[in-house]
Amino acid sequence: MAVQGIWSGTISFSLVAIPVRLVKAIEPGRISFRLLHSKDYSPLARRMFCPEEETMVPRDEIIRGYEIVPNQYVLMTDEELESVSPERSRTIEIVDFIDMKEVDPVYYDHPYYLVPSKGGEKAYRLLVEVMRRTNKAGLAKFVLAEREYLVAVTSRDGALALTTLHYSEEILADEDLSPKKGKTAAEEQNRMKKSIERMIENFDPGKYADKRRKKLTDLLATKAKEKAPVEAPVVEQEEGAGPADLVAALEESMRKVKPR
Amino acid sequence: MAGATIWKGSIHFGDTDVPVKLHTAVKEERIQFHFLHRRDQVRLRQQMICAYEKEPVPAEQQSKGFEVEDGKYVIVDPAELDQTAPESSRMIEVHEFVKTGQIDPIFLDRLYYLEPDMQDNQGKEYSALVKALKELDVAGICTWNMRKRSYFGALQAREKMLRLNTLRYADQVIAVGSLDLQDVPLSEKELKIGSELIEKMAAPFEPGKFGNEHQKKLQEMIEKKARGEKIAILVPRRLKPTESDQLLQVLEASLKKAA
Amino acid sequence: MSRTFVEMAGRRLSLSNLEKDLYASYGFTKAHVLEYYRRIAPLILPHLKDRALTFKRYPEGVEKDFFFEKRCPSHRPAWVKTAEIPQDDGEQMTVCLVNDLETLIWAENLASVELHVPLARASSPETPDSMVFDLDPGDQAGIPECARVALILRDLLSRTGLASYVKTSGKKGLHVYVPLNRKETTFEDTKTFSKAVAGIMQKHYPDRVTARMAKKERDAKIFINWSQNDASKTMVCVYSLRAREKPIVSFPLEWRELENPAELGDPERLQVTHSEALNRAEEKGDLFREVLVKEQKLPHL
Repeated sequence: MAVQGIWSGTISFSLVAIPVRLVKAIEPGRISFRLLHSKDYSPLARRMFCPEEETMVPRDEIIRGYEIVPNQYVLMTDEELESVSPERSRTIEIVDFIDMKEVDPVYYDHPYYLVPSKGGEKAYRLLVEVMRRTNKAGLAKFVLAEREYLVAVTSRDGALALTTLHYSEEILADEDLSPKKGKTAAEEQNRMKKSIERMIENFDPGKYADKRRKKLTDLLATKAKEKAPVEAPVVEQEEGAGPADLVAALEESMRKVKPR
Repeated sequence: MAGATIWKGSIHFGDTDVPVKLHTAVKEERIQFHFLHRRDQVRLRQQMICAYEKEPVPAEQQSKGFEVEDGKYVIVDPAELDQTAPESSRMIEVHEFVKTGQIDPIFLDRLYYLEPDMQDNQGKEYSALVKALKELDVAGICTWNMRKRSYFGALQAREKMLRLNTLRYADQVIAVGSLDLQDVPLSEKELKIGSELIEKMAAPFEPGKFGNEHQKKLQEMIEKKARGEKIAILVPRRLKPTESDQLLQVLEASLKKAA
Repeated sequence: MSRTFVEMAGRRLSLSNLEKDLYASYGFTKAHVLEYYRRIAPLILPHLKDRALTFKRYPEGVEKDFFFEKRCPSHRPAWVKTAEIPQDDGEQMTVCLVNDLETLIWAENLASVELHVPLARASSPETPDSMVFDLDPGDQAGIPECARVALILRDLLSRTGLASYVKTSGKKGLHVYVPLNRKETTFEDTKTFSKAVAGIMQKHYPDRVTARMAKKERDAKIFINWSQNDASKTMVCVYSLRAREKPIVSFPLEWRELENPAELGDPERLQVTHSEALNRAEEKGDLFREVLVKEQKLPHL
């Protein structure tokens, strides 16, 4: 078993149904830090806290609510949420095949990969191959968590990639930003073209590294050498702590242990 | 209407300098929900809790640590983190130009609209750049520092406008090879029928066709519940997967259906 | 930097700086480390399988700085298997899984002399497969004292119905593992149980055992570190090398080896070197196999 998934369901086009899992295609570039309690360096964890009772609230006591009027909520369970668009919570139904060149990059949101679940390997490979041959991508809608996404399913390097897209109503217009005047002289235009042509290369993203990440890594290496890293204290609890039955049983067993 | 200006910079390469203003291109709409305590519906707050004391810890008592060994951390303070931040500069430095077709879409992250900052002879340089990029069908690969972060991106032209599309770093993109996909043989017939099916289902990209229906239905469900009405719990239906030995038949049936 | 290319299971691996000294005073190079791991692979791989690997890298050798890597290096070959482990801040971290020989060799090429893994598998990070007692001698104690405590511990555990297995830590201590291998087990269970056991041991043998971490408590006592029973903790994997002066291995022992006073008289006797490890393994097979397969339930909880 390689990668665990974010979602699992079926991808379909016409009558063909392929069981799949959705997995990450992008890893975060950031170096992640842990928040610690300044006084003793105990690690902190994010928890839900009830401000009225002033206690932490366990997961089974947490419910989702939508505020309809200030301080008045409509509660919603996970099943009810899945009922909003039940067909789409488990199926990515491709309705059209399009040419990705027609999609303005402004629509792109986030990429993922789809991997076949058991039994779907052949149909998966077929879809990858025929989309590659026809140079087309599948357009579909599906629901992940409580959101519905418009997605493009593409064939990439022998796998299916799924990219969520923004809705057209979410794309802002840019007409008001365009230059008003500006017809450039032909000479000026040629100079610029030549300037650009001189700088044409092949695209190699590996050339560019995240400089800030490197600086951070160097800083951390230096600091680790200068000073011993801090350690959180182990919780010291009262002696004899433990379930009564267990302690009694252990005491009983201890009596029978050979002296050494 | 585009969003407000979020940053100002100047595109630079060779003898060319084009001052621009960056605008966001997307505005997401979402129904927000809150987490509540089941018994009294009090709105819960997210807190950083000390694992041992089980008490919330305010921001002033929090330190940032990087785990170097099991349970051992190197502490960094905000001043040190600040020092790793890149120097602020207004330059969007173009290092090279590449054919637009070479940029794999998986690298594209966030897109910004660029507005000519009119100190530049009324947008002439801006328009010249747009025209040149379109004629050569290239994008400029550039780096810039914005708000204490380093960015790497592609400068592209579309219609009359320039845009800056931030790119993901190469080591952030997960290689397809790591997915461990099996190679499964396919017959020429399956591939042929499959391709025909796709061509039959081909359509132009019309984004306006698609609206966020789920959002509307969710809104309706919330209103229904608010009125005290009962809502039906529908169980999502899982489609029966197509068996590998049935694939050709299902493809043929689909083709017939699409005709 | 020198490079050698090898082919393994149809995969191309680039090995670098094979002649570099990793154990300088002993004369053990990276090539030697790779060779050890290649030969011990059939025994170590089942214990590494599907577990989030923590690399402990010594690029300049065991006498210089090391660094610790939990996140799977992004420059890994495409065929290295990974898993996503949820973290406390809600984010997921990508970790490496050493499930085959090629990945093991790749990891060793990165000078990850020591291999550390959690008690749970990556697919169920909250389910420990075993409960562990990390016996750590204080400054004035050593393996003989540790062995005595381990034998008492084993006796106590067997009287509660639990079988246990012991290995050397490769340093001064011993690790006692109680296989559980049941999906219902939680770290809460193993922590509670091991803490209670440590408490009872301390109560009955106060001059030999402590259940408290504070260094000043130790001296000639053996600290039973029950807090290792946690989802966030890792243990050095059985058959892993340790970064000490000599290439010593964290190696499983038979209980009777600890019972023989003659053996205990010489503390060096229980330090298993790389060559001894390979010989013993050839002779006896995987003495830790039961830790992977035996199913036991913690009683009285």
